[in-house]
Amino acid sequence: MAKIEPGMEAMLDMYFFETNSLLEQLDEILLRTEQANAFDSEDIKEIFRIMHTIKGSSAMMGFDNLSVLAHKAEDMFFVIRENPELITDVSFVYDLVFQVSDSYKAQIEAIQNNVGGEYELSNFDELIEKLKNAKEKLSGEANGEAPAPAATPAASAESAPSGNKGNNKTSVRVFFEDGCQMENLRAFLLINTIREECSFLEFYPADVETNPETSKEIIEHGFLITFSAEDNQDYILKQIETALNVQSYEVLAAPSEAPVAEAPKAEIPPEPAKEAVEKVEEKQPAPAPAPTESAVEKAQAAVANVAAQGGSQKQSLISVNLAKLDALNDIVGEIITTESMVISNPDLEGLELESFSKAARDLKKLTGELQDTVMSIRMVPLSGVFQKMNRIVRDMRKKLGKDVEFVMEGEDTEVDKSIVDSLQDPLMHLVRNCMDHGIEENVNDRTANGKPAKGTVKLTAQNSSGEVIITVSDDGAGIDPEKVLAKARRQGVLTKPESEYTVKEIQNLILLPGFSTNEQVTEFSGRGVGMDVVKSNVEKCNGTIVVDSKKGAGTTFIIKIPLTLAIIDGMEISVGDIVFTVPISTIRESFKVEPEQILRDTDGNEMIMLRGICYPILRMHEKFGIETEVTDLKEGILLLVETDNKSMCIFADKLIGEQQVVVKPFPKYLARYDIKGEGLSGCTIMGDGSISLIIDTNTLIG
Amino acid sequence: MTSDVIKEAVAKQQSGDRKLVADNSVLGKVMTFNIGEQVYGIEIQYVVEIIGMQRITKVPHVPDYIKGIINVRSKVVPVIDIRTRFGKPEIPVTSHTCIITLSFNETSVGIIVDNVANVEDIHSSDISATPENKNVNTNAFIQYMIRSDSNSEQTKLILDVAKLLDEQEA
Repeated sequence: MAKIEPGMEAMLDMYFFETNSLLEQLDEILLRTEQANAFDSEDIKEIFRIMHTIKGSSAMMGFDNLSVLAHKAEDMFFVIRENPELITDVSFVYDLVFQVSDSYKAQIEAIQNNVGGEYELSNFDELIEKLKNAKEKLSGEANGEAPAPAATPAASAESAPSGNKGNNKTSVRVFFEDGCQMENLRAFLLINTIREECSFLEFYPADVETNPETSKEIIEHGFLITFSAEDNQDYILKQIETALNVQSYEVLAAPSEAPVAEAPKAEIPPEPAKEAVEKVEEKQPAPAPAPTESAVEKAQAAVANVAAQGGSQKQSLISVNLAKLDALNDIVGEIITTESMVISNPDLEGLELESFSKAARDLKKLTGELQDTVMSIRMVPLSGVFQKMNRIVRDMRKKLGKDVEFVMEGEDTEVDKSIVDSLQDPLMHLVRNCMDHGIEENVNDRTANGKPAKGTVKLTAQNSSGEVIITVSDDGAGIDPEKVLAKARRQGVLTKPESEYTVKEIQNLILLPGFSTNEQVTEFSGRGVGMDVVKSNVEKCNGTIVVDSKKGAGTTFIIKIPLTLAIIDGMEISVGDIVFTVPISTIRESFKVEPEQILRDTDGNEMIMLRGICYPILRMHEKFGIETEVTDLKEGILLLVETDNKSMCIFADKLIGEQQVVVKPFPKYLARYDIKGEGLSGCTIMGDGSISLIIDTNTLIG
Repeated sequence: MTSDVIKEAVAKQQSGDRKLVADNSVLGKVMTFNIGEQVYGIEIQYVVEIIGMQRITKVPHVPDYIKGIINVRSKVVPVIDIRTRFGKPEIPVTSHTCIITLSFNETSVGIIVDNVANVEDIHSSDISATPENKNVNTNAFIQYMIRSDSNSEQTKLILDVAKLLDEQEA
């Protein structure tokens, strides 16, 4: 089948991006309308437009199968569009279109993974058949209910009044955008779009489909289309105007044989036989929702969630390769490091530098702004991921036969792009778990517990003090601690006597690899591979996940992820000759201690009583095996740190100062050693060029 | 590329194919350095740079031979002490002590050596496979040897960077 030529890869990238965005947009519309159980005419137009764009761009890239598939889907919606009264019971349409959209996604993924290779559409024929049947069924209904002469959808669209029966012909010269490549195929595509509408159609060069050489001709002289003037000219011109990559077109009148008796439309010039009369620029505003933008812009519009507005306003969005943003981010990180190297340079110590300090302050302000801007560039809303979850719930609701409502909150919350990407899998697993394990199989189990028959799965996101908190919750059966404990016992994953486990600890056992209490493996879950994927993915972005469940009342998974991965405010503390950085957000207070405040438990562990609360003390030099002269608690300093409602005091030699640091991961070579498990999350380069280790308060306490 | 040629040469040498010895072509370059009395070498394509000894930040819970991490122009690079790795006693840092940073498969590490000696050509006639001796542990990191004809020069042991960097917990 289609071979992907070299040099097309940039276009291919754009095609993937565009098509994926359109499919997401499609899913969103479908989910929304399905919930409302009604197609808005705007929605139908939108779906139509999406299918049309996909059809066009797929054909252009040579993916004939995909193009045909989109064409069939388009056909079906054509019927719906022309006969909006049909959409009383169209649930099968939803299923079908979802299948089409899934098939596309799978296909695009396959192509992406195998660029340049062959591709096959697995259930292609089946889908085509289904679409055809659906179309026939719909048009059958249409004919039955509305006994209009509209036998076929194409015919029904031809409502334009035919003018004179003369052999008036209208010629249009079409120019494509500069450098859009493969002009001949684009021209062929254009011909295909308008062919149905034309009773007479000629075009030059005539062999555009087979002869790539014609591209040159088209670039130089434009593509000449001649059609009979009695056809629906408005429609055809509109088609030409809105076709992909068309830069401009001009309407030429070429009737030397017959005078233009009835100039059908304003576009037709009064003086015949003259070329270039009216030039319609592409950017000319058109009534919404006619797609005047290029497909790429449309795709971007979809990304920005301004889809439904459609229309003529100019997009101020560009798409940027993520690698470039990463590079920018790295550079900003280094600028900040270098800045503090300059400003707190040891050479400057003890000097009175009024003007320098002022300039340094200004610089600091600017780099701060630079950093914020770069961060904000990388921020994208979670709504895309949330929509995908909506889709999963929809599919599972049907398959499992559970009546479940899906609630989303805070989908506008913005997080770093890399976080969004790594959140998708974990959220998918969690939502599946909620649907499969959480919500009760039997509705009676719910009503007996005084819960509404309809289950709820809720996905929320919110920003809170430098963290984004995402929760996935259901009001289902909850986690039975007994079951989990029994299972843990069987699997031998318990590390301490059973009686010492708190309910919360037991619940969090389900996050261990290979742990699943579901007795039966279902299509969606039960193999016990999901939860540890969730955990490791969340941990990859320095996040944490906890389970909170009440038997009979439901389960909530709480994911906390730092908003910005790269730069944190840290407090530098020294222990021996090593400098550690403690994230300031976790420090409650730091203080000197008097010996009489120290308590010891029976094992000799040191504790301290502060305002009636007892905190354990962790000596950093002991924990990390560092030689230091400061071993007496009253000579050093204690920091009270707190995360996740757990707190402790860490003992260090002294505080050095506060600094904004760029978090760098430990080198790849060290990945095999469990440094992170020991309470260090990464390292950072300090102003003087030396390296400081960043404390992960959470694992240090845990 | 170079390493393939060399591997071939080593294999030929092992199989007793003497044809290659005759033409004595240059197969690549090695950087040589000393650890104690022994001369070691590393094929030049793995070497990123040589830097002087600098302050190394210790990292807890890693094996002894990983001395810690250093900052090489805003990149954090782990440092291995070759001496400790080969089970030799540590010696105090001298003015000759260097860190050679190596890169292999996007993994970067620095190795501490007593001093850097030279960069020289690898002649195909000088290549010699390591003796098959399962009892000698350090041979695990030696890819091949370069013989020397003159008595003044030692045989050089060429390190297998892939093994040195990629080895799993032994």
